[in-house]
Amino acid sequence: MAEAPPSPRCRAVIAGYGFVTPIGSTPEAVWESLRTGKTGIRKIQTFDATPLPCHIGGEIPDFVARNVIEKSYRKSLNAMARPVQLGVVASQFAMQNMGLVKGSISPERFGIEFASVMGATELNDLARMSKVCTSGSRQPVDMEAYGRDAVPEMPPMWMLKYLPNMPACHVTILYDAQGPSNTLIPNDAAGVEAVGEALRILRRGAADFMLVGGSESKINPLSLSRFNSFFPVTHDNEHPTTAVRPFDRDASGTCLGEGGAAFGLETLEHAQKRGAKIVGEVVGYASGMDRGHKGPGLARIIRSALADAGITPADVDHVNAHGLGVKAYDAFEARAIAEVFGKSVPVFAPLSRFGNMGGASGIMELLCSVLALQHGELPGTLNHDNPFPGCPIAVYTGAPRNVTKPYAVKTSYTDLAQCAAAVVKKWEA
Amino acid sequence: MRRRVVITGMGVITPLGHTPAELYASQLEGRTAVAPFTRFDARTMPTSFASEVKGFELGRYLKHDLERYSHCGVNTQFAIGSTREALADAGLLGEHLGDRTRMGVYLGSGEGAEDFPALMNSVGIATEPGSSIADPQKFCAAIRDVLDPLREPEVEMHTTVGHLGTIFALDGPNIACQTACAASSQAIGEAMELIRDGDADVMAAGGAHSMLHPLGIAGFNRLTALSQRNDSPQTASRPFDLTRDGFVIGEGAGIVVLEELEHAKKRGATIYGELTGYGSTADAYRMTDPHPQGLGAIRCMAEALKDARMKPADIGYINAHGTSTQANDSAETAAIKAVFGPHAYNIPVSSSKSMLGHLIAAAGVAELVICVMAMRKGVLPPTINYQTPDPECDLDYIPNVAREKRVDHILSNSFGFGGQNISLILSRYRD
Repeated sequence: MAEAPPSPRCRAVIAGYGFVTPIGSTPEAVWESLRTGKTGIRKIQTFDATPLPCHIGGEIPDFVARNVIEKSYRKSLNAMARPVQLGVVASQFAMQNMGLVKGSISPERFGIEFASVMGATELNDLARMSKVCTSGSRQPVDMEAYGRDAVPEMPPMWMLKYLPNMPACHVTILYDAQGPSNTLIPNDAAGVEAVGEALRILRRGAADFMLVGGSESKINPLSLSRFNSFFPVTHDNEHPTTAVRPFDRDASGTCLGEGGAAFGLETLEHAQKRGAKIVGEVVGYASGMDRGHKGPGLARIIRSALADAGITPADVDHVNAHGLGVKAYDAFEARAIAEVFGKSVPVFAPLSRFGNMGGASGIMELLCSVLALQHGELPGTLNHDNPFPGCPIAVYTGAPRNVTKPYAVKTSYTDLAQCAAAVVKKWEA
Repeated sequence: MRRRVVITGMGVITPLGHTPAELYASQLEGRTAVAPFTRFDARTMPTSFASEVKGFELGRYLKHDLERYSHCGVNTQFAIGSTREALADAGLLGEHLGDRTRMGVYLGSGEGAEDFPALMNSVGIATEPGSSIADPQKFCAAIRDVLDPLREPEVEMHTTVGHLGTIFALDGPNIACQTACAASSQAIGEAMELIRDGDADVMAAGGAHSMLHPLGIAGFNRLTALSQRNDSPQTASRPFDLTRDGFVIGEGAGIVVLEELEHAKKRGATIYGELTGYGSTADAYRMTDPHPQGLGAIRCMAEALKDARMKPADIGYINAHGTSTQANDSAETAAIKAVFGPHAYNIPVSSSKSMLGHLIAAAGVAELVICVMAMRKGVLPPTINYQTPDPECDLDYIPNVAREKRVDHILSNSFGFGGQNISLILSRYRD
């Protein structure tokens, strides 16, 4: 196994994580779900979505932010829509799991990188407004009535509830994080891009500690209606637990999910100084386009990430794929992975357990590999029973098997072929 | 030896002009773009005026696939126009020019606009008269039949920057951020760092935003962020004036082409200026209000100066965030004084927003382009609508009339809702 060449840059280590997800809201619960093949995808229950062609999703069954958020911050909840709540609580859980409170980290050296998108407005926020200015389907809205009578009915904090940069904002306030703060928005690629930017901020010495997180909830009437109109979602509502099938011959489309996931990324020096318990390391990253989803572009980006990490394909235990369960996209991702790794490195796709978590997907999926490396076991890919014809990669399925090499590679991409890849390493003290 | 980053191209689509030259000329003339809304019927809205882009035609900027991209929101269309102009200006428009895998794009990007009639009508159908509760099942059944499947994907936030990568064959890093009013300055700063780090040689960086739709305007009105001076729209944006009552919303896009210096010199590119400093901090204070003493702003200006290896006295002009809200303008003034000390009174400070309005995620890049022009032409734009001085804001805001002054280093501030603070330093290029 190749030894990584000494890097002139600082090392970036993971000291802990937090989750609010369809497969668990503690690290122990998430890992147990991964090990045992438990899925969080079900027929959507928080509202009746049956008019929609796809009405299954990765739904968090029992998240009530009020019950878990810091008491001092409860009153801010009415300015937070669900995606914001998920991000804030996941970040809080991460900080709690790391034993960190406000003041633990020097404010000016504490930054945030978040991956999130605009939340979908809750219907009830518009309900009273709609009654004073609408008169039925396909009719123009009465704009005179809208301005005069509907706007005063809009909740004053309406806009703030949904803005993508609000999770990061609330976390900076909760923990007095005054360093660089950014929120990235390119959907499925945003999470890994946020990891990469956090890594770069640490490397250039602009912060010592970065809270890196992602949050998203598409499990709401507006998002699901919209996505059903254009996204390749499965219509296999009768079999939610087996509907999403990464790289599988019988893939029928993906589904959406929701969740928040966050972790602390800090310089090794800072972690050691505060006696942190280190659980992993981020060693490389790259981002770019693969126009037309051809494959060689994502392969190039994977290779850039490997080069940034100073490793070769032979050092990699597994590739953690986005694995949407959409035939054309799976074929694209498989082509790219195969170009770099052939069939010699197994591929693991966690998405079939919780759906496409959009802005949160990159962080959540990446953390599955951090957990795998930490525990020394690679879980199987749920619902991969028969590779699609000509599949050029080896997808790992079945019971967990031992991790044999220190590195894992995470790949992510959007429907517009924006791609990102990251390399994580098992922590060995 | 740190890689140096220069600006080799610029493009803008703004309410005051569709080229950097037009935008700058408008700013020097003190011309305002603020006028009553035409985009939608806003006559009964609490605020009935804005700064709108006029006369934009996507077909001028896109030869192929015009039909396909006409489904995009105006924010994306403005971004396409700006990027085309900037890349053409830089001599990098054709796919065959340079190594496209070393050219990326980083955008401060606003959200797309919801299909307002579909949304409101469907909520209306799902809500009984007199009720405050909408039935989700009825809503889904109603909206399902009226959504346009070509329009809906374009509302997603990754699409603006994704389309730029595709249309202009930019295969390097493809990233977008949304930190409200700071977004495009942050995009530019982070793009600069990508080039410094060697991850790219060229980055198209900037922002695009349009919130001139019924929900967006209502949202800002309900936060009492917007000026409601409906009887005098053209004087509503009056940064630093005692009687300021909120910002004026605008829309638009801008792109600057950032390039590694040796790469630019090797191909004989025109160098407009150099980006020498970048500071990024968070207030960690409130969701919208800035810290009253501007503590976060102080640190980000100081960081930018440190990054540029400069002293406060090296700065010849400050392009303020200057939104015309009570809170920002006071806090920003206090912060400038804290960073620059007595020298603060010797540095002209002006706000482009007095004429342009607030372009939100595109504000920073539009203002940086104005700074580049000001540095090259030696005339600084004024702050217009400045009539009644505020004792708390007592700096030299270049009131109402442009000023000839040659400057070598300019500081530009952008402070976003959510507490993100960004400062950029632009310098005259010297070999």
